[in-house]
Amino acid sequence: MNSPFVEEVIAKHADRDSIHEGELVTARVDRVYLQDGNSPTISKLFKKHGFSDVFDQEHVGVFFDHSVLSPDKHIAARLREAEEFAESLGVQVFRAGEGISHVVALEQGWYEPGTIVIGSDSHTCTGGATQCLALGMGASDCAAAMVTGETWLKVPGTVWLDIKGRPAASARARDVVMHVLAELGQYPFMYKSIEWVGPWAEDLSLDSCASVANLGVEMGAKCSFLPQGKDRPNGMVSLHKPEDGDPRLHRFNIEGLPPMISKPNSPGNSVPLDECAGLKINYVFIGTCTNGRLEDIAEAASVLAQGKVRQKVHCLVTPGSQKVYLEALEKGYIATLMRAGAIISPPGCSACLGTQGSIPASGDRVLSTMNRNFLGRMGNPEAEIFLASPLVAAHTAIKGEIPNSTELVS
Amino acid sequence: MKEILNLRVRRIEQTISTDDIIPGRYKHMYTDAKELAKHVFENAIPGFAVTLQERDVICCSDTFGIGSSREQAVSSLLAAGVIAVIAPSFGRIFFRNAWNLGLIALEIPSPSFAEKETVNLDLIKGEIAGNSETINFQPPPEKMLEMVEQGGLLAMLEKRLATKPTIILSN
Repeated sequence: MNSPFVEEVIAKHADRDSIHEGELVTARVDRVYLQDGNSPTISKLFKKHGFSDVFDQEHVGVFFDHSVLSPDKHIAARLREAEEFAESLGVQVFRAGEGISHVVALEQGWYEPGTIVIGSDSHTCTGGATQCLALGMGASDCAAAMVTGETWLKVPGTVWLDIKGRPAASARARDVVMHVLAELGQYPFMYKSIEWVGPWAEDLSLDSCASVANLGVEMGAKCSFLPQGKDRPNGMVSLHKPEDGDPRLHRFNIEGLPPMISKPNSPGNSVPLDECAGLKINYVFIGTCTNGRLEDIAEAASVLAQGKVRQKVHCLVTPGSQKVYLEALEKGYIATLMRAGAIISPPGCSACLGTQGSIPASGDRVLSTMNRNFLGRMGNPEAEIFLASPLVAAHTAIKGEIPNSTELVS
Repeated sequence: MKEILNLRVRRIEQTISTDDIIPGRYKHMYTDAKELAKHVFENAIPGFAVTLQERDVICCSDTFGIGSSREQAVSSLLAAGVIAVIAPSFGRIFFRNAWNLGLIALEIPSPSFAEKETVNLDLIKGEIAGNSETINFQPPPEKMLEMVEQGGLLAMLEKRLATKPTIILSN
């Protein structure tokens, strides 16, 4: 069989013919991008170590997405530092309001198939949607990659997920990921490269591919690659699974799989939706790098066109990027959502991680389409966070409680 | 550096995310690790931060450092006095960040040292010894130890750049 995809990409970037699991290698990187939350720290590291230049100004970017509407003077001051830093380096700047780095990166072709991208955010793994080896790293790693255009990598092992069958009409791409995670836990995926194979993965929309790759980090993986398929960028290749019986190959038959929901406080704590049906919810959040793309906003709008956000439910919708927002405006989705009683916030990470509103109140129970529900994730450890698809979220907003899966089929 | 004596064990009996180590909001507010150190484990284990002291080693029963890429999860622990973490497994990015900044992160399947037990760590031999037991582990690769010795990834890079007129790929 062919080498695992990740080995081919790393070998090419290390000028090697082949490479093996566990090796430590130095590899060239094609792009590096930062977000506003880590840029001030990276700026400090640049000053401390006397760095002032990047390897390629065109291929380094700073995205202002985590604190679009700055909630206090401390964060505002850090944002000014980040702006100054980006300007001093002469790199690409994506201003507040342009959108979430991982959404914009996909739109703008920053995740070219077969390239290596380093991002200062764990959900950089979204690049696996277009077969980019996109790796989230910390401030020091990002600083080193920005200066040298290279990084050290430990070649990961690969795990294949061969998906057969079709989920229920009300289940979405993220539900399949959550099902796999609930069944196997993080252990088989820790530090690994995941390759999704089979007809289900080949037929997903590009937005859904991004959702699947994005959740790779919640599975514990280093990267998560989708196969070549229709309406996907040129340069993507088909992925080859190993022979039957190989312990690295996991098969799943998802025929009729119901929608899933993640209970507090871990994405892996996922169960079929119906196990939580009837639980009261008073805050619904639709958006993020997992489910804030056009198909997600369209789905929320199609549900909320048939009802109103229930009294006493706070329903926040955040388009993932300016492009998503504008297209949603043109198609009338934003008007539908607003008329139904949803609040629309500017593109960005929004309420996902407690850096900006809306922070839930103590005792709130939140249903969100984001990727992780760790304790206190949205800024208040006394709020409970459940995770599900935009379809489930929109129905929840109308009902004020978690719906039954039969209610999702219109 | 490679032999570290008289560390004090601090037990944690749950999976720890980087959000648990330092809640997201604080890293957007402060770049000073000492400021962040006051808030470590604030939501997950209230009151734990003030009990941490120099030469503490965290001994976690489950996966440590899953989630976000925030390097502040490492710098805030270092600033709180923690010099090593042992756990059955680590979040990938946390593990990189740890070695890059000089926090020793060791994968040990079921560390059973008791709370406040004194242990000695030998990174060359791959051994951690307490009163109750001695555990052997695969010693970290030379490259990782070198990084710690030189003061972290960026200090190492700074030296490398100072000795080269231009940046040359190392392969």
